[in-house]
Amino acid sequence: MACIAISASLQRACCSSHHVTNKQNPQTKPARSLGTKQVSHVVTLYVDGQRSCNVLEQNDKSSSHMAAPKDAADGDELKRGLETESSLLKFIDDRWKNGTWDLNMFVKDGNMHWDGVIVAEARRRKFLEIYPASATNEEPVLFRSSIIPWWAWFMRSYLPEAELINGRAAMVGFFMAYIVDAFTGLDVIGQTGNLICKAGVFVTITCVILFRKKEDFQNLKNLTDKTTLYDKQWQSSSYQQQNASKASAKDT
Amino acid sequence: MSSIALKSFTGLRQSTPEPSHFNVPLPLARHQRFKVSASKSSPKLTNRNLRVAVIGGGPAGGCAAEMLAKNGIETFLIERKIDNCKPCGGAIPLCMVGEFDLPLDIIDRKVTKMKMISPSNVAVDIGQTLKPHEYIGMVRREVLDAYLRERAEKNGAMVINGLFLKMDLPKNQEQPYVLHFTEYDGKKGGLGEKKTLEVDAVIGADGANSKVAKSINAGDYDYAIAFQERVRIPDEKMVYYENLAEMYVGDDVSPDFYGWVFPKCDHVAVGTGTVTHKGDIKKFQLATRNRAKDKILGGKIIRVEAHPIPEHPRPRRLSDRVALVGDAAGYVTKCSGEGIYFAAKSGRMCAEAIVQGSENGTRMIDEGDMRNYLEKWDKTYWPTYKVLDVLQKVFYRSNPAREAFVEMCADEYVQKMTFDSYLYKKVVPGNPLQDLKLAVNTIGSLVRANALRNEMEKLRV
Repeated sequence: MACIAISASLQRACCSSHHVTNKQNPQTKPARSLGTKQVSHVVTLYVDGQRSCNVLEQNDKSSSHMAAPKDAADGDELKRGLETESSLLKFIDDRWKNGTWDLNMFVKDGNMHWDGVIVAEARRRKFLEIYPASATNEEPVLFRSSIIPWWAWFMRSYLPEAELINGRAAMVGFFMAYIVDAFTGLDVIGQTGNLICKAGVFVTITCVILFRKKEDFQNLKNLTDKTTLYDKQWQSSSYQQQNASKASAKDT
Repeated sequence: MSSIALKSFTGLRQSTPEPSHFNVPLPLARHQRFKVSASKSSPKLTNRNLRVAVIGGGPAGGCAAEMLAKNGIETFLIERKIDNCKPCGGAIPLCMVGEFDLPLDIIDRKVTKMKMISPSNVAVDIGQTLKPHEYIGMVRREVLDAYLRERAEKNGAMVINGLFLKMDLPKNQEQPYVLHFTEYDGKKGGLGEKKTLEVDAVIGADGANSKVAKSINAGDYDYAIAFQERVRIPDEKMVYYENLAEMYVGDDVSPDFYGWVFPKCDHVAVGTGTVTHKGDIKKFQLATRNRAKDKILGGKIIRVEAHPIPEHPRPRRLSDRVALVGDAAGYVTKCSGEGIYFAAKSGRMCAEAIVQGSENGTRMIDEGDMRNYLEKWDKTYWPTYKVLDVLQKVFYRSNPAREAFVEMCADEYVQKMTFDSYLYKKVVPGNPLQDLKLAVNTIGSLVRANALRNEMEKLRV
């Protein structure tokens, strides 16, 4: 625990320009350690943010909030749970205004900087995943990711195994062309005009993309298992029925 | 204004001038035309009618008993907790009101607006496409169950306040089932009286912990646990929930289901459910409360409930002359977790099969007659169950998927299709062009949400 605290303070020292308010109430030990971890987490978020100047507001009650969830069965507990409303961390960013990103603030050199919006929104979602916020009617979230144009997403998509896939597709293509030529006498140029060969290329590329690693086979198998589980659960009920009916038919 | 909107619910039911319509006979002509002759070989009963016991007095049991009693079958309905308030969301689709001829005064609230709230707090209003007369009914189970039981009793079923213990299976086709139960009489106080009852067939409608299922060795099913708190909130906050229900999705609320705030008669029900992380249900409940916090601030919990919800049907839903219906059989949909309508419907369908097979109680029945019910049920509702299962698997899988789900629900076409299929329980063929557009948009949403997820992972460092 101590080392976490130290690392957290170190990181805080590194980025002293960022403003972090952290008033904690050292009530219960586990809660405190949780609190400290949170802080270190959030600080790392700032380190890779280039120009964000988020402000964290953490209230005294945060530790009691963390401890409260254990058992809340009666009315008093609810009240306590509800009273801690002010204790939650709130996402604050100067570009986040009235439930949406202020796109004017993402303009760089006269161009819209969509990458910045994507990163900012990812950061907001991550924050909400760690500290789920309550949905209010006063401040509805109006931002929709659909306003970001499709090419901005494409620019950011990145395949770590791109080199491997390219190489694999080229190898398969080359040898298939060789084999087809050897067996049918259809040369490479002829193959490019052939419908079957075109379809073959398409299938190859799809397969290469789908099965990048060995694990992909297992994943696919798991997926089919998952999708057919429910059918099996239903079928088992009718199957047993059929068996039972056969048995009863024999009896009579 | 708010005082008009929020009538006090002093009695069990709101009073209404509308006459109740108990004695409208349901059109049975269609079924009689399709009469199945499976049991023509079975012996005709002499001196008496067919005796059927319905175990459990929920929607399934009530509807089954009513249908049986109406068609001349000697019906016994055994229910222990006559005035029990069951932990249940209590939403019924519009078509149930018409199909089961429910009086409008048992509906506490008519929900016309739904709000879906994503993990990043994007809130989407669903229900703009609803026509003025369309709504989702919110009932209290104690009211609905009591009404259905009363109606069964009026039609001639004998309602027994008793606890079903076990039953002896017959050795051959002619012998009866012997049910053992403890009868509780209001006057005698705590201690019940042990009794037995001989019947020719049994309908097990006794819920998730079914004893009937156990006694026919029906096997188990996976179940989800649902946790719900009924919270009485201040009147000014209640105005917001007057005809609005909220659904929260997110890993914090539930890893494989949703958290909800449903309006009830004079309070709201806040709850959540899960299959995979049952031990953490309290944590999820707290998270749900947290997400809805501003709107239920100052509320007081008046009741805490938890209940198992079946995930799929039991391996065996009937054996000989015993059939399971409702929760006992496991008829709860995935994704929406809806069970009342399907319970009532399966009870009625099973009863219809018995009525047909016994020719209004004059013949003995056999397993073939009971299986007609299963076949019809699977044929009618299997697609519904499958579609909802796929939806749950695709969209409740992870936070990005949930974001995409909420985005998708903002689409009017989706809302129209969803509500049509929910309210009327019919799969309406959609417009192919719109379907294609929807597919493209959904994939787009999923891709975007997952790209953001990748960004989030990079932030972790």
